[in-house]
Amino acid sequence: MTDVYAAVCIAELLIVGLLLIRLARGPSVTDRIVALNTISTQCGLAVLFFAAFADRTIYLDVALWLSSFSYLGAIVWARYLERGLL
Amino acid sequence: MTLAVVIILCAVGLFFSLSGVVGILRMPDVYTRVQCSSKTITLGALPLLAALVVAEGPVSPYGSRALIVAALLLIVNPLASHALVRAAYKTGVPMWSGAVADEPAEQRANDERADDD
Repeated sequence: MTDVYAAVCIAELLIVGLLLIRLARGPSVTDRIVALNTISTQCGLAVLFFAAFADRTIYLDVALWLSSFSYLGAIVWARYLERGLL
Repeated sequence: MTLAVVIILCAVGLFFSLSGVVGILRMPDVYTRVQCSSKTITLGALPLLAALVVAEGPVSPYGSRALIVAALLLIVNPLASHALVRAAYKTGVPMWSGAVADEPAEQRANDERADDD
């Protein structure tokens, strides 16, 4: 089972590498935020599978906070773009 | 048996994640890209989390955290995508030249015509 976890973790990191292209190239700010949001989701999944692979429950909290705060960050960015700094 | 189910779920999840990322890279404007990042990425993440639940059991530390992340993803991902697209539309990010519908603009045009009459 740990082999499957390691394979999923590595595959997610490759997907993050592909998303970095959009993060670097994205013509508008919103494109970059979309790419960053997706990167956070995929990184959270990768950390979750790495925790299962390494059998360390302490990393699970990292994955949980990463996924919850990435969406909070996206909502804050959207609010900033719409109304400015208030 | 469990291993086979886990491998199939992981393969489905990784396939949809990869197709979502290809969509984010190849789609022509921000609105279609958000569609890929909201729908396809959710559909890719859920089988992966289900694989973890199947492998470790729903009451284990890993399985319970995977369920929490899945619930969070289902609730907050559409919310964040909606807020992002709304912000993009209000800040005037251009649509793709081949786009066929812009309903808020049509609505505004209709309202102005009604005011003139």
